[in-house]
Amino acid sequence: MKHPYIFGIRHLSPAGAWHLLRFLEEKNPKLVLVEGPEDFDEQLKNITHKDTKPPIAILAYTKEAPVKTILYPFAEYSPEYQAILWCKSNHRKCQFIDLPSEVFLGLPSEKNLDTKGEEGHMSVYEKLDLQTGEDGHETFWERVIEHAGNTEEYHKGTNTFGISLREITKGSESDWPEILVREAFMRRKIEEAYKQGYLPEEIVVVTGAYHVAGLLDEEAQPMTDEEFHSLPKSPANHTLMPYSNYRLSTRSGYGAGNKAPAYYALLWEGLCREDLNFTARSFLSRIAGFQRIHGTPVSSAQVIEAVRLAISLAQLRGSSVPALRDLRDAAVTCLGEGSFSAISLAVANTEIGTGIGALPDGVSRTSIQEDFYRKLKELKLEKYRDITIQDLTLDLRENRRVSSQKSAFLDLHRSFFLHQLRVLNVSFANQEVVNQESATWAEQWVVRWTPEAEIELVEAALKGDTVMQAASFAMKERVEEAENISEIALVIEDAFTCGMAAAVNYATAGLQAMAVDAASVQELASTAHRLSVVVQYGNIRLLDWEPLVPILQQIFYRACLILPAECVCDDAAGKNIIEAMEHLNSAALAHDFLDSASWLGTLKEIAERDDLNTKISGYAMAVLLERGCVDTEKLHLEVQRRLSKGMPAELGAGWFEGLAMKNHYALIARLSLWESLDNYLDTLNDEEFKRALVFLRRAFADFSAVEKDEIAENLGEIWGLNGQQVSEVINADLKEEEQQIIVESLDGFDFDF
Amino acid sequence: MKEQILRLPAEQLFQKEIDALIAAEHDPIPTGWKMSPRSVRTYICGGKVGKTVITPKYIGHERLVEIAIATLVTDRALLLIGEPGTAKSWLSEHLTAAINGDSTKVIQGTAGTTEEQIRYSWNYAMLIAQGPSQEAMLKSPVFHAMETGTIARMEEISRCASEVQDALISILSEKRISVPELNMEVAAQKGFSVIATANTRDKGVNEMSAALKRRFNIVVLPAPADLESEMEIVRTRVAQLSAGLDLNAELPEDNVVERVCTIFRELRNGETCDRSQKVKSTSGVLSTAEAISLLCNSMALAGSFGNGTISEEDLAAGLQGAIIKEEEKDNVAWKEYLENVMKKRGMKWSGLYKACRELL
Repeated sequence: MKHPYIFGIRHLSPAGAWHLLRFLEEKNPKLVLVEGPEDFDEQLKNITHKDTKPPIAILAYTKEAPVKTILYPFAEYSPEYQAILWCKSNHRKCQFIDLPSEVFLGLPSEKNLDTKGEEGHMSVYEKLDLQTGEDGHETFWERVIEHAGNTEEYHKGTNTFGISLREITKGSESDWPEILVREAFMRRKIEEAYKQGYLPEEIVVVTGAYHVAGLLDEEAQPMTDEEFHSLPKSPANHTLMPYSNYRLSTRSGYGAGNKAPAYYALLWEGLCREDLNFTARSFLSRIAGFQRIHGTPVSSAQVIEAVRLAISLAQLRGSSVPALRDLRDAAVTCLGEGSFSAISLAVANTEIGTGIGALPDGVSRTSIQEDFYRKLKELKLEKYRDITIQDLTLDLRENRRVSSQKSAFLDLHRSFFLHQLRVLNVSFANQEVVNQESATWAEQWVVRWTPEAEIELVEAALKGDTVMQAASFAMKERVEEAENISEIALVIEDAFTCGMAAAVNYATAGLQAMAVDAASVQELASTAHRLSVVVQYGNIRLLDWEPLVPILQQIFYRACLILPAECVCDDAAGKNIIEAMEHLNSAALAHDFLDSASWLGTLKEIAERDDLNTKISGYAMAVLLERGCVDTEKLHLEVQRRLSKGMPAELGAGWFEGLAMKNHYALIARLSLWESLDNYLDTLNDEEFKRALVFLRRAFADFSAVEKDEIAENLGEIWGLNGQQVSEVINADLKEEEQQIIVESLDGFDFDF
Repeated sequence: MKEQILRLPAEQLFQKEIDALIAAEHDPIPTGWKMSPRSVRTYICGGKVGKTVITPKYIGHERLVEIAIATLVTDRALLLIGEPGTAKSWLSEHLTAAINGDSTKVIQGTAGTTEEQIRYSWNYAMLIAQGPSQEAMLKSPVFHAMETGTIARMEEISRCASEVQDALISILSEKRISVPELNMEVAAQKGFSVIATANTRDKGVNEMSAALKRRFNIVVLPAPADLESEMEIVRTRVAQLSAGLDLNAELPEDNVVERVCTIFRELRNGETCDRSQKVKSTSGVLSTAEAISLLCNSMALAGSFGNGTISEEDLAAGLQGAIIKEEEKDNVAWKEYLENVMKKRGMKWSGLYKACRELL
């Protein structure tokens, strides 16, 4: 049986691309068949479009969740890409012949389908590494294949390599059945070509070296219709997308690629110039150039020495052209004074590069991508579509100097858009935390466009046709999956920042349904806090916050009701309760529509009851004091009652600690309070004093020096001393002997009561 | 007479191997070299030529050896940098032994090294009696190397004063020395090069000028990457050294080597080998070279005063001597190591632990 010409390549191989072009010129086929899902044929016209600039990739993804994807990246020097271009410029027919992507995505797979077949053979490559004595198969490939002298040599080299690789792995690989299915399908496609009237010698098949033997196998049969229809399929879409060198480099983890895309591009350039050592020279010069720009002087003499060293390193390995490994070692030795860290950035830049692909506008994007680009244009964000990191500061207020409504709120709409992307986990923009007064109306973003973001965007296509739709769907999902009301509150907050009223309403309904069952004060309080923030800042986002009022009222009231009962707890839990009280109090202060009376009633109850955690009671007192609901006399009475002899010391001091957590100034200004405290301490015996001391120390820990001065003044007055002297004693650090005394007297003292 | 010499130069010690490599040579040989670069690599990293087994001289980091050899092929000077005891001088000696069959053109760098010792000086009696002449001139090893197209070694270059180091600059770039007294100039023959070694961590070293550094290809020799390769190095070197020293003791057993290397590595790296614990480092460098001399020392102790097998006591004495360099500080670190790490290591270590405790 006669076979078509089969040219085995290595994906992303510059030499492969170059020799393949020579081979095509020589054989001048009428039809070129390329390994790749057959349904990608639709993408061919886009791949060859004049505005398409590699690296690009074809992404196929399942239409239904869970999303599975397969990715076919092409660099300038991909043999497949060059073959496609050749067909276009020579008006020859070109077709993909691998299994359709829907079959790929439907195959039961143990391994990740993100990668092309090659990665699966890692173990074989490891074996190979041991035999070649190089640092890895990359170097081996480079020396044997990339630097092959002529087309014949390359062609034979890869074929032999693929065949022997196949011999070793046959049957033992976990994806062996998949390989057989794929090859059967490729044979089927070749048969189809014959049926269309092409002669074997008019066809060139471009495929991975590994498959050459499979396609030449005399006994293997092409796949029958029946077999084809029995394959599992899952419906898939595919799209062409821009790719980047960074993505191509395996460092970013997306298998199909190579470690040094920018270096390989140099190899390609060298081949096109037919200058064997072009790559070595420009690689080392680029490293030197990078070093110079970044402040390290590197002389041309050093570069010359590096080139010479690289060549002699290659000769040690019996090759005349340095491989990447030789170049890198030469750079370390001659340009980095022996240490890799000195040139690591330059090496990363020169090996990987920042290259990023481009597609002509409107080329087979998913609808969500189109929406995204339209929005970028509309919101004047196009200049941020760049690999470099840029800052973006947004002022959400109305810009009154411009005429149209649209531009007056440009920044606000940008903010909506960026938040929608954030909700979709598209890593285009990250919000920075702003801790300034402007926090209510300003937002700080760090923006960077990466192919990763594009992929994330494409993946989001499953959720909706536009960015906003998808974001809405994502939030709806979160509401449905939420396990407690604060999660839903978070969704509401997100919906507000995204400017999506419908989602707010949806989430609010979900919240209402769930709030009834919500049991803990903390949860209620943090939800109330979030909603309160939304309502406070709602105006600036031009959203109607009215629908939130009833639910906020409801939650707030519930919290007031169950709060006292939750105050029977230890100090650890007490901390959370106090935080919840803080949230509730600030919500009550911020909104008139909340039931202040019942809040103050609750506080009074907590402040007066003796059977609750005393610290919380003290804190409730402090809140009341701050709000002016307690007069001096009442406070005085309460202090005396709480700090009277007979109360266990830790309870009294704990109460005082709670009281001191808020509004220091109100405490300091009340002299009677300090008299009471002074009297109280006098009544304690040594053991009780030690216990009280721990709490009191804690209570005063976050008083400032000035505040301590004022306390000193108070105490001086009470003790009839000079305030300044007392202040000095209080503010001074402990002397060593004093510390000694304290350590000794507290020795064996149990702090954990 | 040969047996009377304490330490033979490498080319004599490994004469057989060098001869075998030269005999089996089939790759092109650079001018001035005795063998091809590949054979040099085989000589240093080990292998087999015909029936002769070539013992590895430098274990691990084969790539660095390749870089060093490739550097010398390009007639560039080679600078080996590393912490004390990372086999810099060892590698430089063997490189010259293999390339030239002569590792003796050495300048030992010290604080007292002068420029004359790098270039040339005079036999003053003769100079005064006859005036300047070729005969009255004392040529430095570098001078000789230039004349013969071979490689000169400059040991501990960073110990020399900076101005003395800089005498090499013009030699390395012009590849010639001028002798104004005799109105002559000597140009280096093909094959001339310099291998210098320099320390990075020792006290009393001088910074090298950037101009000088630029004239070298710099290879940084690291400490052995893992316990196994360090043990391999120690085992091979102890066997080689003790063979020439008549120590009357058996070679240390594997578990002795393993324990010494483990202790050294852990104290050197500041953490235990399984990375589970931090350990206080000591002031000394605790290099592989020191581990080797410690074991030889222990063998001498065992051979002279013991039963010929290294006992826990011999080892403990050696360890203490190697580790405690600065009384106060190292004592504490060593004690902590004994209590926190070694004591908890179980049976295999308990004997050594007790012996070490007794010495403290």
